[in-house]
Amino acid sequence: MQDTLRLDNGGSVFLGLSSTSVRVGDKVVVTPRFRGVEKEDFLCNYVWNLDGSWEKGDFDSTIEHVGHTIPQYSWEFAPSRPGRYRIAVDIEDAHGRFKGNVERWIIVAGKNGFLRPPVPPADAPTAVLAEDVSMIFNIASEQYNSLKEYFIAAARRELTFKEFRALDHISFEVKRGEAFGLVGTNGSGKSTMLKIIAGVLEPSSGKVSVHGTIAPLIELGAGFDMELTAKENIYLNGALLGYRKDFIDEHFQDIVDFAELDGFMDMPLKNYSSGMVARIAFAIATVTEPDILIVDETLSVGDFLFQQKCERRIKELVESDNVTVLLVSHDISLVERICDRVCWIEKGRMRMIGETDEVCEAYRSLERG
Amino acid sequence: MASDIEPAERDAAPAARAASASAVPAHSTSARDAWYPAGKRDLFILRELVSKDFKLKYRRSVLGVIWSVLNPLLMMLVMSLVFSFFLRYDNIEHYPLYLIVANITWQVFADSTNAGMMSIIDAAPLLKKVRVKKFVFPVEKVLFSLVNFLFSLIAVFVVMLWEGVAPTPTMLLAPVCIVLLMLFCVGLSLLLSALGVFFRDLVHLWGVLLMAWMYATPIFWPVSMIEQVPYHAVRALMYTNPMYNYITFMRDAVIYATLPPIKVIVSCVAWALVSLALGYVVFRTRERRFILFI
Repeated sequence: MQDTLRLDNGGSVFLGLSSTSVRVGDKVVVTPRFRGVEKEDFLCNYVWNLDGSWEKGDFDSTIEHVGHTIPQYSWEFAPSRPGRYRIAVDIEDAHGRFKGNVERWIIVAGKNGFLRPPVPPADAPTAVLAEDVSMIFNIASEQYNSLKEYFIAAARRELTFKEFRALDHISFEVKRGEAFGLVGTNGSGKSTMLKIIAGVLEPSSGKVSVHGTIAPLIELGAGFDMELTAKENIYLNGALLGYRKDFIDEHFQDIVDFAELDGFMDMPLKNYSSGMVARIAFAIATVTEPDILIVDETLSVGDFLFQQKCERRIKELVESDNVTVLLVSHDISLVERICDRVCWIEKGRMRMIGETDEVCEAYRSLERG
Repeated sequence: MASDIEPAERDAAPAARAASASAVPAHSTSARDAWYPAGKRDLFILRELVSKDFKLKYRRSVLGVIWSVLNPLLMMLVMSLVFSFFLRYDNIEHYPLYLIVANITWQVFADSTNAGMMSIIDAAPLLKKVRVKKFVFPVEKVLFSLVNFLFSLIAVFVVMLWEGVAPTPTMLLAPVCIVLLMLFCVGLSLLLSALGVFFRDLVHLWGVLLMAWMYATPIFWPVSMIEQVPYHAVRALMYTNPMYNYITFMRDAVIYATLPPIKVIVSCVAWALVSLALGYVVFRTRERRFILFI
């Protein structure tokens, strides 16, 4: 199953969609686009259904939308329920012989539900631009137990370092307002990439340019002092993130409310559970709208209610259109729910970059294989 | 692939965007006024870090900040007892005052360089995650020791009352000395913090060096003893010692109500500038590589 079908005579069919994510009631236009062949020579059979309902034989509202079209090469439908819809088109030639099918997925959000941001046009302003970024770490290949050994080795010029390429010529561009995902297995270099974007690490070669303020959510609570109270930590962390003092004064209650930790503000942080620390850290980092929000596996701490709340807040920021979200995770489902485009990094190399469904599908197949 | 999107889809994108924007309530916090411009931001960080150190230092102690005053007083008491009974330095005029002025001046130097040296290493978890100007950490340690120094000035006033030394207009020169000393400490802290990242041995060595330095500085022994040193080179070295110069400056201004010799003033300024320049250059050229070693 794919979005493009190669035909025998060298032509191809690509399934065009007016949008891959809509809200309930919005219309989606489906157009198979034939290349290298005359479209009049083919017949199309449209099917669309909610994810999972096909196998169960549950078509309910969808069956009536199965169209057997000959003159009509574009067809629109309005999904009535939120969820993930599959749109499949069977391609037959003029004699009714089945040639194969193309299919794509669209995400349909409820009336007030979340919508993945659309893939922005090519001329949208750039938020993050990574150009040919490589990162090389030197790992000492031998362990020297004493200074004497070290100097002997140095004198003999035997001090060898093994080069470890954490990132190998990575390039991508994130547009303003996008939710961009970085996926990859452990140790693939995603976090290194994020650190370079956050400006803590400098790439060995290549360049990263960032336009706007960054709120990093990399390992919640970096810069917290466990001896200080939560209130003191909010000010300290706010300062480190670059917030103004009067801004923190004004929004202090917002932070406390979001973290749901009213009444615990004068307790030293060392008496907090890690989930509570995470709540505070998340609340501080997202109290305002940064231009770029970097989220790195942070949602794995905290209870499920708070995880949901964090996800909602991230979605809110995504929907505000001003915030560019960079999400790093090996939890593919979160990336799928939020991101419009995804870059898949594996062992420091860029394996794939593109629209979420496509990349996630490929990444999933790696998991299975 | 993303490049495969048909033009029709691109046209549809803004419409979908507009639809999503209208469906979601506008966000309550406005973004622009949340952030400081770059320079002010560092000041606020410095302030927050100093206040953090200050809170942590006295948290859970009953007397709290009073210790900042009490500590130098008690130290002075012990030292003046020890040195006037055993070593017979009590022929120095206003010996307790002589001691406490030198001691707090030394202490601000020792504290700030000790803490400054560790500052980058200690800030490692933070530096790995948030983009912060790295110089704030060593500078903060110097500022923090300055705060302590200012509190211990209260102790100096107490001793002045006890000794019957009246304040004079020359005391107004003391802040000049303090500023120069701060610059000297900032430079040295920058230098040490940068070197400490790459050569951790320095961390262990510095304590020993500080001790040797302290004994070579006329803190509790009379300045006149320098003249009795037989070797010219050693004498010259002891007179060049920056801490000798800063302490002499302080004593002249506070206790003896005289203008310090021009040589001392020049040395104080020169050391401040040399240290600051050296620290700045070393720190700036090395700071990019910190992250790989912490």
